[in-house]
Amino acid sequence: MDAAHIRNFSIIAHIDHGKTTLSDRLLHMTGTIATREMEEQLLDSMDLERERGITIKAHPVTMLYKAKNGETYELNLIDTPGHVDFAYEVSRSLSACEGALLIIDAAQGVEAQTVANVHLAMKQNLTVIPVINKIDLPHANVPQTRQQLEDILAIPAESAIEASAKEGIGIEEILEAIVERIPHPKPTGEVGLQALVFDSYFDTYKGVVSHVRVFNGELKPGMLVKLLHSGKTVEVKEVGSFNPKPYLRDRLQLGETGYITANIKSPQEVKMGDTITDVRSTAGPLPGFKEIHPMVFSGIYPINTSDYEHLKANLGKLQLNDSAFVYQAETSVALGFGFRCGFLGLLHLEIVQERLRREYGMDIIATYPSVIYKVLMTDGTLKQVDNPAFLPEPTYIESIEEPMVKTFVICPNEYIGDMMALISEKRGAIDHTETLDARRVMLTSLLPLNEILIDFHDRIKSITRGYGSMDYEHAGYRQSDMVKLDMLVNAEAVDAFSCIVHRDKAESRGRALAAKLKEVIPRQQYVVAIQAAIGGKVVARETVGALRKDVTAKCYGGDISRKRKLLEKQKEGKKRMKSFGSVNIPQEAFIEVLKA
Amino acid sequence: MSDAIIGPVVSLYVHVPFCARKCSYCAFYSEPSTGEEINRYVAALTREMEWIQCQRPLQTIFFGGGTPSILNLRQWEEILTTMHRLKLLPAAEFTVECNPATVSLDKARLLHDLGVNRISMGVQSLDEALLDRLGRVHSREMVFKSWDILRKAGFQNLNLDLMFAIPGQTMTVWESTLAEALAMGSEHMSTYEVIYEDDTPLYAQLQAGEVAEDEDLSCAMFEKLVERTVSCGFEQYEIANFARSSIPAGLTATTIPPIPDVPRLACRHNVNYWRGGQFHGLGPGATAYVAGVRSRNWANTQLYCEQIEKGCRAVESSECLPPRRRAGETAAFGLRMPAGWPFATFLEVTGYDLQKEWGDAIQELVAQGWGELSKDSFRLTSEGLRFADSAAQLFLGD
Repeated sequence: MDAAHIRNFSIIAHIDHGKTTLSDRLLHMTGTIATREMEEQLLDSMDLERERGITIKAHPVTMLYKAKNGETYELNLIDTPGHVDFAYEVSRSLSACEGALLIIDAAQGVEAQTVANVHLAMKQNLTVIPVINKIDLPHANVPQTRQQLEDILAIPAESAIEASAKEGIGIEEILEAIVERIPHPKPTGEVGLQALVFDSYFDTYKGVVSHVRVFNGELKPGMLVKLLHSGKTVEVKEVGSFNPKPYLRDRLQLGETGYITANIKSPQEVKMGDTITDVRSTAGPLPGFKEIHPMVFSGIYPINTSDYEHLKANLGKLQLNDSAFVYQAETSVALGFGFRCGFLGLLHLEIVQERLRREYGMDIIATYPSVIYKVLMTDGTLKQVDNPAFLPEPTYIESIEEPMVKTFVICPNEYIGDMMALISEKRGAIDHTETLDARRVMLTSLLPLNEILIDFHDRIKSITRGYGSMDYEHAGYRQSDMVKLDMLVNAEAVDAFSCIVHRDKAESRGRALAAKLKEVIPRQQYVVAIQAAIGGKVVARETVGALRKDVTAKCYGGDISRKRKLLEKQKEGKKRMKSFGSVNIPQEAFIEVLKA
Repeated sequence: MSDAIIGPVVSLYVHVPFCARKCSYCAFYSEPSTGEEINRYVAALTREMEWIQCQRPLQTIFFGGGTPSILNLRQWEEILTTMHRLKLLPAAEFTVECNPATVSLDKARLLHDLGVNRISMGVQSLDEALLDRLGRVHSREMVFKSWDILRKAGFQNLNLDLMFAIPGQTMTVWESTLAEALAMGSEHMSTYEVIYEDDTPLYAQLQAGEVAEDEDLSCAMFEKLVERTVSCGFEQYEIANFARSSIPAGLTATTIPPIPDVPRLACRHNVNYWRGGQFHGLGPGATAYVAGVRSRNWANTQLYCEQIEKGCRAVESSECLPPRRRAGETAAFGLRMPAGWPFATFLEVTGYDLQKEWGDAIQELVAQGWGELSKDSFRLTSEGLRFADSAAQLFLGD
């Protein structure tokens, strides 16, 4: 297809605003799939994605559309992950496009995630086509949604298309707008092939399958091509597109979207955002490439130590389709052998843990998540610390910087007081407040990333009875008075319970952790002292009283068999506890405390 | 190591699964009954008795429940005459559990005349409010009345069952129950802390937070119990069992040879359980331990009767542990007795050398102050007895 008849676009939307339903509608309307093939949420292939209503992986789909002007166009829909954890993936997907559909739920209005994603699209200079979806709902408020488009996103209200993906309203108008409003791909001006890699997945038979968008020249099987950032030269084996199933093509030309395979065995060799060029040409890289670095770290340990190898194999399998996920072996005194895992953000962390538990059936303990601290040492060197265990002694530390995030919280007016209190509790500062409509405001604030790791989102949901929404973007580092909080059980520090916290919060967190530990550590034959300490100074203490007896009062002939089984089970349970000195801590305690 | 040397079975347990009312703490199998059902049960039981292979006469017999004393005179007569006919009787120790509400002089005399020589009376408490809470059908008045009847019928070996740490029971109440019970002058006392067993109303109350456990109080009550019983001439020979050593004149128990370190009036039937001895079990829900196999009858009277009437055994399940694990089980439960395990006895019962096989466990317990090792025996200390379950675990499993 000549470039003038190609349109590359993506869809950005808040969770549940109807992105997937609309995608399915477009596929159906263009005859890409027949109705009988239509399975709900066709593009989201992972169960977990469907369950959470979010898309993690981007799948490009090629559609042929006969427009009202009588000409046939090739429309490439590049689906994007809908969460800012995957901001880089989103930005790469967006940079493969010239335009984007922005879907807004007519009943819900603009949400925090919409704001963050529109910012990304605008940074890429995409033509944004606003679609007001779900206009069929009884409480849809189209005029107000149009107003929000202008006020919050600075998008002309009259450009919005009214639609209901569910009812099939406005679909043709959307397709026409894609053809009319989104610019067609233009050559970059360089000589020879330039193609952007915006995603990849692993196929057992073909190796790495890279999703590409050709910006210049053409890609054909048999070509020798270079991956500029990874420096690798490979021979292209297969070239194709998705409809949404992969199909072979003889070439991908300027402006087209599809995939290539090249016998690449390791997903790490294909970097997201890399540029593919012909080995013989001098064409340079496309703009925007970044090495992606994990932002959040957590240790993952098998509950049964014998599952270590099994866990290792499964982490490897996960990484094949998730190159942003990194892991390396580590050991913990408390938990034994496991892995330090790096994630793009919280959702990413949750998804990986959940997939390990569900898809791979692993029993795992995940340690308290940590961000990366930049530690300036007294000798002038800079250390990056993502694990409390490796935080140097305070005397060697000059200062510590922690990562910050800019958050957008949208909540109904009546909860603004509670929300401000929450932000301040989380050491945040509100930058500004905007009124969205008669009932909602958006709070933009700066918060330390480590404060939003665990329960921030849940707290917002509970404060606002589910009506609040939150999103964030990274906002650099800031110097902070951080300290390491250790938990001691009978005077012995248990590394899995240690965390890095702000000095002002160390004591209360120490008290909360000590109280939780008191609850979950079963009584032993001795008194167990639980202490929270900051740099050797004890800030909280709890005591688990000693067991005074452990004996079955009554035991006669009929009880023996049952009693024996019970005692054997208890003995097994003790084996699964971790011993610290003479204190046994059950595995459940680790899980409970990390939730505390 | 060889398997245990298995001799003839000398003990018999019979389960009587009927109660006037189910007590709130009881997890034993029992059900309310009609006269007809009991007749059917008696017929099945006497038939099951014909099948057992054991030493004749038996050394110990124990009728437990349920409420064995709920059977009427004619039913008892049928059972006991059958046992005589089968030469199971006269046994050296023959115990029947009685509920104070179901003892009449006629019944007591019949039992005594037909070979029963020991009665275990389920008193539990002498406080009316607590008896009510426990769901017992008897009153304290009935306890004293039944007691006199039993003595009058000629029983010289009587046991009292008492419970402590009952929700709502204060130390004062416990002390006065203890004093009154001791004043009755029984030969034996089985005294145990309330157990919250799954599937009992009491457990449900605990789960619902209506009652709470007070460990300090129950420990104090137990200490009071040991102190008072010992001062009245009892000897603790198992965690919850106390017996006298002096034998009343004319008691047939004198015909049994004494067991070293165990009081003469200890319940030999129960000692047999703790020391890993064999026993038959008859009646619905009864357990047996014969030739290394633990088995259990169907805990459903109708099903039990149907099986027996068809000429089949009514075994619901059975389990045979490998010899070493079985010996470990025997070691674990034997340690509930302060006399512990004479090594020679253990070797005789199990075929294993306790010291050699479980040397580590013994060392650990000694080091902890819970165990006491002598030249020819191992026992738990009084501290160790309070942690008998923890100690037992060291001997269990593979």
